[in-house]
Amino acid sequence: MEKDSRPKWDNPTQFLLACVSYAIGLGNVWRFPYLCQMHGGGGFLIPYLLMLFLEGLPLFCLELGIGQKMRQGSVGTFSSINPYLGGVGLASVMTSLYLCLYYNIINAWSFWYLFNSFQSVLPWAECPINTNRTGPVEECERSSPTQYFFFRETLDISSSIEVNGGVHTGQALCLLLAWVITYLFVVKGVKSTGKVVYFTATFPYFVLVIYLIRGVTLHGAANGIKYMFTPKLEQLANPTTWINAATQIFFSLGLGFGSLIAFASYNEYNNNFERQAIAVSLINSGTSIFASIVTFAIYGFKRCVCVTRLLLLNTFDIAEDNITLDTALDWVRELNMTYPEKFAEIADQLQTCDLEKELDTAVEGTGLAFIVYSEAITNMPLSQLWSVLYFFMLLMLGMGSMLGNITGVITPLRDFKFFSKMSNELLNGIVCLFCFLLGLGFSTPSGNYWFTMFNDYGASFSLLFIVFFESIAIVYIYGMKRFEKDMEDMVGHRPNWYWKIMWKVVSPLLLLVVITFYIVGYIQGGTPTYHAWKKDFDIKLHIV
Amino acid sequence: MWKNTFFLFFILSACAEELCKPDASNGYKVRLSLKTALGDDAYTWNKNEMFLFQSTLAFAMRTSHTGQSYEISNIVVCNETDRVSFWFVVTSPGNPTELVENYIVEEAIRKSRHRINSAFLLTDKTLEFVGILPTLATPVSYDTPPWLIVFGVLMGIIVAGIIVLLASSIVKRKRKTRRTDEEEADEETRVKTMDNGVYNMSFSVEDKLTQM
Repeated sequence: MEKDSRPKWDNPTQFLLACVSYAIGLGNVWRFPYLCQMHGGGGFLIPYLLMLFLEGLPLFCLELGIGQKMRQGSVGTFSSINPYLGGVGLASVMTSLYLCLYYNIINAWSFWYLFNSFQSVLPWAECPINTNRTGPVEECERSSPTQYFFFRETLDISSSIEVNGGVHTGQALCLLLAWVITYLFVVKGVKSTGKVVYFTATFPYFVLVIYLIRGVTLHGAANGIKYMFTPKLEQLANPTTWINAATQIFFSLGLGFGSLIAFASYNEYNNNFERQAIAVSLINSGTSIFASIVTFAIYGFKRCVCVTRLLLLNTFDIAEDNITLDTALDWVRELNMTYPEKFAEIADQLQTCDLEKELDTAVEGTGLAFIVYSEAITNMPLSQLWSVLYFFMLLMLGMGSMLGNITGVITPLRDFKFFSKMSNELLNGIVCLFCFLLGLGFSTPSGNYWFTMFNDYGASFSLLFIVFFESIAIVYIYGMKRFEKDMEDMVGHRPNWYWKIMWKVVSPLLLLVVITFYIVGYIQGGTPTYHAWKKDFDIKLHIV
Repeated sequence: MWKNTFFLFFILSACAEELCKPDASNGYKVRLSLKTALGDDAYTWNKNEMFLFQSTLAFAMRTSHTGQSYEISNIVVCNETDRVSFWFVVTSPGNPTELVENYIVEEAIRKSRHRINSAFLLTDKTLEFVGILPTLATPVSYDTPPWLIVFGVLMGIIVAGIIVLLASSIVKRKRKTRRTDEEEADEETRVKTMDNGVYNMSFSVEDKLTQM
C-alpha cells in the first residue's frame, strides 16, 4: 500500500528542524519588532504570549496531530474526515500556491543584495553620480542612497501599479536562482529537505548572535533596547493590540497552509508530536523576541544623531570635541534657547531624533529589512562582511519558509492519483517551473505593488477562515473522542484538559473574533490604498 | 620712510581686512573637520597651519592663473572659529585692494584640490570649501558587474548539484528495475523445479503479488 512506501524523515530531529525552519521566517525579523514598538514595547509581550497559549499552540498541535494520523497532505486529510471537506484542503493548497508565487521574490532580492555586497564600496552606501558628473543623481539625493538602491536599482519601480515595463534582468536571474535552489532542496522530497533543514534552521541563530554582540557595542543600542522594552501598559486597553497579537502568532506559526500537515504526514506513527509542537511554538516566539532585541540594538539613534551633530557643528561653528553623539540632543535644546533666530533657520533640516518617530516611518516589512538594516550596515566598519552575513541569514530564513510552502503544495498534489504516478523529481520540477514563470511578474517595474497586494491580502484573511474550518472539522466532525483515541495510540497518552478546552472552545472562538474584526476592518477601511514611489516628487505618496 | 611704509602697510592691511568678511562677494568659507578625519592623530589648528593654508592656496592660484605671481599676503583670512572654519578672499597681486573673481578662485581650487587636501592630510569631505563641489571621481564601471560573477558561480554549483542528484536517482532506478528483473527470473526457475512435487503455496514468496 502506498502508506508503507511513504517517504519518512530520517529522524524526529529533522521533522522538528523542518517545522522550526518553516515557522521562523522573515516575519519574525521584520514584523514582530514593529508590532512590539507600536503596541507598547515590553507590554506587548503580554497579549502575545497569552495568544500563543490560547490559540497558537493548540492549533499548531492540532495540525501536526491530524497530519501524523492521516499521513496524507491537506486535501487527502480532510477528504478522509469527510469527502465534502476536501475543499478545506484545496483552499490550503491555493493559499500555499499564492505564497509560493510571491514569497520567492523576497529571496531574489536577498540574493541581489548578497551578490552586490562583494564590492569595495557597498552600492547602497553612496549615491551614484549623474551623467554630468556634477553631483549625485537627483532622485537619490532627494531620498537616500539606501532607498534609491532599493527602489531604483533593485526594483526599478514604476510610478503606479498600472505602469508596466519589461522584466528586470537582474531580478529575473536572482528569481531563477532562488527557484533552482528551492528545486534542489525539494527534488527528492523529504529525503533532501530533511538534510537541508539542519542548516537553514540553525544558521540564522548563529548570525543573530553575532549581530547581537555587534549591536550592543554600537552607540545608542542601550537606548534602543530600553525604549523597546519599557512597557506602556495603556496600549493593552486598545483592542487592536490584542487582535494584532492574535494575528501575529497565527501567521508566524504558518498555520492553515497545509505545510504542517504535510510535514507531519511524513512522520513515524509514534512520533511525539505534542512535545514537538510545544517546542516549535516556544522557539518561534523566543526567536521573535530575540530578533527584535537585535533590531532595536542595531537601529538605535546613531544615524540621526550623527546628522544632527554635524548640522549643529557647521551652523554654529562649535569645536568638534564639544558636541559628541551623547550630548548632541542636549546641545539642540541649549542652542535653541541661546540663538533662537539662527536655530530657526535650520529647524526644518533638523530631524527630531525621536526613536518613536524614526520607527513610525513604516519600518516593517521590506522597508525594515532592505532599507533600514542595510543603512545600519553601511555605518559599521567592515560593512561588506556584515552585509554578507545579514543577507545570507535573510536567505536562510526565506528559504526555510519556502521549503514549507512548496511542500504544502506538492504533498497534497501527490494525494491525487494523477500526480502520484509521476516521479518526485518531475512533479517538483513542474511546480517550481510554474511558480517561477508566474513569479516573473513580480520582477517587473510595477512588481513591488503587486507584491504588496499579495502580501497584504493574498494569504491573510483566507487563512483565518481555513484554520477555523480546520479546527471545527477536526474537533466536531472528526470528533474529539476519536482524536483523543488517535493521540493515545500515537503518543501514548490522551490530551489533558488544557488541550481539550483550547481545541473545543477557546481557539475556535478566538478565531471567530479575529475574523469578525477583519471583516469589520475591511468594510470600514474603504478602498484600499498603496504607497507609490514617485520619481520626480518627494519620497512617497498615497495613491488610491 | 619707515613711517610711510608702515603707514601704507597699515592701510593696506586695514583695507584687506575690510575686503574679507563673512558672506564676502568673492570670498569662500572653509571648514576643516580634523577630529573626524584624523581622530587621535589630529593636529591642533594654529597660526602655522593657517600659514600653510595661505601658502597652499597661493600655490593653487599661481598654478591655475598663469602669469600672476600670488604671494601669501594675497590670501586674506578672517573670522576664524573654534569649529576650525574661516572665510578667505584672494586679492590681486597687482592691486591689493582688488579682489580676484570667485570663478577664478574656484577653478584654481578645483585644479589643485588634491594637493591642498594632501597638504593637510584631509579629504574632500573633511576639508570643505563651502560652495565649491569637489570634482567627483569617475564612477568605477565594470565590464561585467561583480554581482553577475558571484551569481554565475553560485548558479553553476547549484545546477551541477541538481544534475548529479537527478543522474544518481535515474541510475538507482535503472539498477532497481534490473534487480527486480533478475529476481523474477529466479522466482521462475524456483517454481519450475517444483514441477515434480506438489507446489506448497505457503512457501512461495507472496508479498510481491498481494497488496496489503
